[in-house]
Amino acid sequence: MLRALSRSPAPVVSLLSPRAAVLVETVRGRKSRTDPKAKSKLGRIKTPPPVDPGEMVVLKQRYTEYSLILRALRLEFKEQMLRKKYEEEVGSVAEERAKREEEEHRSLMALNDAENLRMREIREQRMQQEAEAAELKKRDADILRQQELENYIKEKERHILLLQEEAKDFITPENLDQRIEEALDNPKNYNFAIDKEGRVVKRTAFQR
Amino acid sequence: MPMKGRFPIRRTLEFLQKGETVFKKSVQIMTVNYNTHGDLSEGARKFVFFNIPQIQYKNPWVQIMMFKNMTPSPFLRFYLDDGEQVLVDVEGKDYKEITNHVKMILGKSDKVLEAEALAKMELSNPANFGPKKYFLRECFSEVEGQVPHPGFVPLPKEMTGKYRAKLAAGSDE
Repeated sequence: MLRALSRSPAPVVSLLSPRAAVLVETVRGRKSRTDPKAKSKLGRIKTPPPVDPGEMVVLKQRYTEYSLILRALRLEFKEQMLRKKYEEEVGSVAEERAKREEEEHRSLMALNDAENLRMREIREQRMQQEAEAAELKKRDADILRQQELENYIKEKERHILLLQEEAKDFITPENLDQRIEEALDNPKNYNFAIDKEGRVVKRTAFQR
Repeated sequence: MPMKGRFPIRRTLEFLQKGETVFKKSVQIMTVNYNTHGDLSEGARKFVFFNIPQIQYKNPWVQIMMFKNMTPSPFLRFYLDDGEQVLVDVEGKDYKEITNHVKMILGKSDKVLEAEALAKMELSNPANFGPKKYFLRECFSEVEGQVPHPGFVPLPKEMTGKYRAKLAAGSDE
């Protein structure tokens, strides 16, 4: 067995020594540095587990093979996942997606524009109708105002004519003497009553 | 605690979560111009009153601004990533129509939303155990029907190690 060992190129020590145990950093546990050793453990000598050299060699070879295969598989799968993720985000899939989304966006914007146009037509019609109604109302108001003005002027003219008529009877400095004499000559008697039908009653009951 | 406002249902989580409009990533700002009086602005007013809270709840990173009595007719304006501005005329429309239209042109479609929800679910696998902050359960003893943790409920005597050791020692003797 030793001859077979010396033929292999790998150094003997690494073949014989057991696999490196899992690296565990020294953990203190419950006791601190200054606590004494337990009474039951005073005479204890810690011995590592016994190792069979032949078994160790075979096992080591097998384990290296096994871990090689497993690591290869693991990295293979990881690479697949990473590639898929890359394609998703940065590669061809993403580009196609962006293009598709842009097309959709454009079509939706076209839809929106059509809708806006439709609303605009409706609104313009409505504005037109409102403008027409306002125009009509304005014209009517104008006519009314005109008529009012004319009525007012007519009224004022009538008043002036009435006044002119009355002016003939006015007492002026020239008529003064004449009118005084007239008034003195014709005394007027206001002592009469009038009932609801308008009949004048000259006979009075009370006379001073 | 008394209810606040005219329609306090607008402040409930249930109402807010019912909103369906989730904007695409490119929408940054939403502006609503409307009038406080007038028949034609009625739909826009109702939209602002009922639907804007829902939209803001579903899109917390979109800035929404309201302008009152600035223009004769109401409209919505969206400002996108690349500087594009989308104008939506809203005069005379019903608030439901407005919501549907907005959802159609600038909202994520149902399919996309479902895909996103699925992806989010995949991240949190209920079969994983760990800190309560990230996972459902920390230890298998928390599952119903399993033996509970002896820290909370003491094990029956037959299952404890020292009883079994005592039995074994007794039977050996």
